[in-house]
Amino acid sequence: MATEQDLQDFSTQVTCPDDFDDFWTGTLEMLSAISLKPVITAEPLRSNDDVHVFNVTYLSLGGLEISAWYSLPAQGDGPFPAVINFPGYKSEPPVRRDWGKSGVAVLSVAVRGKLKSSAEFNPGYPGLLTAGLESKETYAYRGVIADCVRGVDFLRSRPEIDPERIYACGSSQGGGLTLITSALRPEIKAGVAGYPFLCCYPEAMAMFQSYPYDELACYARAYPDQEERMLDTLRYFDAVNFAPRIKCPMVVGIALDDEVCPPETSYAAYQALTGHKELWLFPNSGHGNAHDYPGQERAWLEGQIGLTAVVS
Amino acid sequence: MTTAADRFWRRTEALLAEFPADVRLHRDDFYSQPDWDVYQMRYTSADGFRLFAWLSVPHGDGPFPAVIRMPDYASVHDIIYTPLRERAVVMNPTFRGQRWSDQVFQAAFPGLLTEGIAGADSYVMRRVFADALRGFDAILQQDQAQIGKLAVIGAGLGGSLALAVASRRDAVIAVAANTPMALGNPASLAPGLAYPLAELDDYLRLYPDRREAVKRNTADLDPLKTAGKITAPVLLSVGINDIGLCPLAFGEKLAAKIPDCDLRVYHGASEGGGHEHAQIQLSWLSDKLGLG
Repeated sequence: MATEQDLQDFSTQVTCPDDFDDFWTGTLEMLSAISLKPVITAEPLRSNDDVHVFNVTYLSLGGLEISAWYSLPAQGDGPFPAVINFPGYKSEPPVRRDWGKSGVAVLSVAVRGKLKSSAEFNPGYPGLLTAGLESKETYAYRGVIADCVRGVDFLRSRPEIDPERIYACGSSQGGGLTLITSALRPEIKAGVAGYPFLCCYPEAMAMFQSYPYDELACYARAYPDQEERMLDTLRYFDAVNFAPRIKCPMVVGIALDDEVCPPETSYAAYQALTGHKELWLFPNSGHGNAHDYPGQERAWLEGQIGLTAVVS
Repeated sequence: MTTAADRFWRRTEALLAEFPADVRLHRDDFYSQPDWDVYQMRYTSADGFRLFAWLSVPHGDGPFPAVIRMPDYASVHDIIYTPLRERAVVMNPTFRGQRWSDQVFQAAFPGLLTEGIAGADSYVMRRVFADALRGFDAILQQDQAQIGKLAVIGAGLGGSLALAVASRRDAVIAVAANTPMALGNPASLAPGLAYPLAELDDYLRLYPDRREAVKRNTADLDPLKTAGKITAPVLLSVGINDIGLCPLAFGEKLAAKIPDCDLRVYHGASEGGGHEHAQIQLSWLSDKLGLG
């Protein structure tokens, strides 16, 4: 188990490329040139008395069609506050109906490669983490991140959504994407990043022999002459480099026994945050399974949204 | 007395017998590690369905103890991931519709739990249990590693699959099942549950006239109906707040039906005992498999 001292003693070798902001500004400009073309289809099978559920599609980087589950409160006309939920690495995005009674909309994004968004891009699992690693322009996560940004754009385009009250959350890869998307879209007002993945790749791939990070170690072993280039590409996709660019309140939740996303690497992302931030440490918990995390996440977001007194 | 569940399992075995497993292994150079080899494993299940599994084999001479980690209710089943892989053969089999076993049929999540549920022959989950049995048979038929003691583990749906396999295959010497899915038990049809079990209530809300068909076509899969046949010791974990996989009352009934069951009840929900139980399970499995 990692200790708090281990976290504080950790120092990452990850540095930020000089052209990091230029790369992402250019990517967002490419994205903005693509029409969103949203299509919203009712899903009566998943709808109930509290929530109307829809399948949403929109276009993202490269013109790929991305899907998402969109849950709207059954009562009221809005505008509703909204939570955007980012998916884990291997899990499919959940249908979130739990916020409906509270009057909150949820968009649960199936980034490219997920089943609902795999028609045009499907590197598989394992496989996504190393797809296109040859350059920052071709790396799969450029598109994955764009898909998340585009989800925020979708919410902001909707008349039933209050564009001033959009919040983000996710665990594991969803935690990393919460950090990254919040940096790229200041329209996100607050976020909770649980057990964040996509942090400190060089250390994470060396600390444990567990997937998905081990996919990178396998890549480096298979192509030793390309490891340096791989690590350079990854600097553009490291949540540690996005963290200082986040302006909204952010929580980072870390399980000290996490054997998938090394706690030290998640903590490095927390340390790099420069805005209002909170750290939740869960001793005796592993990746994604801290008993109290879901309740804390919910309570904190409710506070930020204004459903209850703000938890600070 | 022969029950409907007995007939279902006999029919399932007969369906499997129609197709030889035809096990093929291909070493995966990319994912193999310095201390163990990783293989892509393919074999045939009921209806001629080709299935995929990840198989890891430690370096050195066998026989090796083996762990089969049954797949959870998810589109992806992990590539080998267990601390035992350095000393044991580890197999992660998939079921039809999961990634790598989706050439013919791609499962939806949510959605798989009610796919074809109106008919006994069309209900895909009945075949998923056949796939689990065939996965077990396949590890014994492969020729890459000599298998010694064999344990079956799983969480959620994987927990139910592990228990079902143990009830049908005497070669299983230990079972570790976390929050086994209550599919087939009346508890799974209650309103107000969380996903994945809530898929059943979603379906019944849209098709209320199909309630009897749903009950009938899932009932044979109820873990309570096969629990008494398990001869291996079982380590079972449940979470008191679980309403998506293994509601507490169901888990307690299940434990009572298993002849040799060590039930651990935790504060959690569908994650069961989480990290705490993972450590207990690792130690328990190591002991049962003779890994010290």
